[in-house]
Amino acid sequence: MSLLIDLFTDHTLRIVALGAGAIGAVAGLLGTFAVLRRQSLAGDAISHAALPGVALAFLVGAAAGGGLAKHPLMLLAGAFAAGWLGMLVVTLIKRTTRISADTALGIVLSVFFGAGLMLMRIIQDLPTASKAGLDKFLFGNAATMLRIDVLTIGALGLLAAFVVLAVWKEFKLLSFDPEFMAVQGWPVRWLDILLTTLIVVAIVIGLQTVGVVLMSALLVAPAAAARQWSNQLGPVAALAALFGALSGVGGAVVSSTIPRLSTGPTIVLMASALVLISLTLAPARGLLWEHLRHLRQHREVRVAQVLVGIYRLASEHPDPTHPHDIASLDAVGLHAAGNTMAQLERRGWAQRANGKWGLTQRGVAEARELEAGGAL
Amino acid sequence: MLTTTDTLAVSTQDVTVAYQEKPVLWDIDFAVPVGARCAIVGPNGAGKSTLLKTILGLIRPVAGQIEIFGQPYARQRRRVGYVPQRGSVDWDFPTTVLDVVLMGRYGHLGWFKRPGSADRELALTALTRVSMQEFAHRQISQLSGGQQQRVFLARALVQDADLYFLDEPFTGVDITTERAIVDVFLEMQRQGKTIVAVHHDLETLNEYFDWVLLLNVRAEALGPVAEVLTPENLRRTYGGRSGLIERGARQ
Repeated sequence: MSLLIDLFTDHTLRIVALGAGAIGAVAGLLGTFAVLRRQSLAGDAISHAALPGVALAFLVGAAAGGGLAKHPLMLLAGAFAAGWLGMLVVTLIKRTTRISADTALGIVLSVFFGAGLMLMRIIQDLPTASKAGLDKFLFGNAATMLRIDVLTIGALGLLAAFVVLAVWKEFKLLSFDPEFMAVQGWPVRWLDILLTTLIVVAIVIGLQTVGVVLMSALLVAPAAAARQWSNQLGPVAALAALFGALSGVGGAVVSSTIPRLSTGPTIVLMASALVLISLTLAPARGLLWEHLRHLRQHREVRVAQVLVGIYRLASEHPDPTHPHDIASLDAVGLHAAGNTMAQLERRGWAQRANGKWGLTQRGVAEARELEAGGAL
Repeated sequence: MLTTTDTLAVSTQDVTVAYQEKPVLWDIDFAVPVGARCAIVGPNGAGKSTLLKTILGLIRPVAGQIEIFGQPYARQRRRVGYVPQRGSVDWDFPTTVLDVVLMGRYGHLGWFKRPGSADRELALTALTRVSMQEFAHRQISQLSGGQQQRVFLARALVQDADLYFLDEPFTGVDITTERAIVDVFLEMQRQGKTIVAVHHDLETLNEYFDWVLLLNVRAEALGPVAEVLTPENLRRTYGGRSGLIERGARQ
């Protein structure tokens, strides 16, 4: 509770929450398209590929001097360039070789990330410069977020969201049926590049806060959760943005109030909780409801089988409601469990007399209908 | 055979397509007169879908010329409608039937503009033509295979084209859908539109189509169905699978 009050009173915390919320919202919005186009892995490759860009930008800035090394725009530009280059390499590998898409992504991810780690090591060994804080790009740190960071994130995020809304119908068709789009004469390749560029933007503005290792989770998780709740692209994207914002704010606030807790993992845990809830509880698509539906169907089939079984036993007699010992059902290969009989009784289809079960008139009618329908 | 370009909806000359140096289409001369219902028929791996996609500019040929109504495809896009194989998209995509049909209007709408009430009207009319009007607001994952096919057909109808390409429209669909597609074909023909479809079933060829290309990497035969479906042509196209050939020839 005190955390909530802090959120409205503490200036630093407010900055952090605002920044992380914006990161999550933009990631959720763009992540919707990444997930629907089955490009979830691309996000992972982009964020890992951005690391050498950050390190190189730092080195160039340090060489230039004048405090340029840690300027947020400088580092963002480096991350953007490297992330984009990574995607370009993936496309080139796919187009010019027989290497498959997932392998291409794996190659780019590991080579770029490896190069990034090596550069980070070199920076660590530099005698000069205030290199402290660069390691937050690995696992993220929201506590160090400044006003200028939030402004940068906000401006870039708004720009990305504006573009998505402007070409909404184009992105929808691109995601659903790019071949049909190409036949209509749309520049599919350019739209693909535009969408990928926006995904790169969504990722790089979150790197400092969430970290390269887990940023792709913030891209994918809110969209995957949102898909469970709606069958329309608009609501799915809006909900993904909301889920992303919630995860961002929650994770950033919690991690910045608990010392030594990295922001990235905390944000991702929040997003994962939303995914878990959505997977189990969302109406229509939730696994829990599906399981219950399955159980109910199973029960209906069993009830019908036993009802018809008893009816067939009784039809040996002139009176179709003739009661039988329930064990005699075993003889025709039907085992009637107690709860099945209870179901029949509750529906008024069967009644017990002297330890034997017989159908009621309504039960007989129901059994005849089932038999006539040919269901059993 | 027809030779003047203004009576041809589609014409290709010497079209050759290769995947990794292996030719999948070899030297194809193909022509469809305006107003025809043309089937592209051949065994698996004959290059039927590849030919369709090459004509539509989705695959680049290594050689050859392609013309749509006497001009390059890039200048005739508005006059072309397309029904891809229904398996080519993810039917769990979060969208409705009406929304998918409206996608057929995107080419006419151009950049940024959203579909309006006139487009919605067209989409509903198209859905009615394929008996899918009740499904307009259904989520697309709830459709059967045949219904998916009819939605794709409705999407092509709102493209309001003069020439329609369909990739295996009859594959894996129910009788209702098959009937609906054939009805639309006949109606299109009455309106002077041209149809080119990849087809599998030799038995229905005569009933559904009036023009045919027999394809097996090479163009084995081209012309009116009754003239082209000879045992010899079928043997050339299908090789030794004679049971199929006898049946096809009897039609």
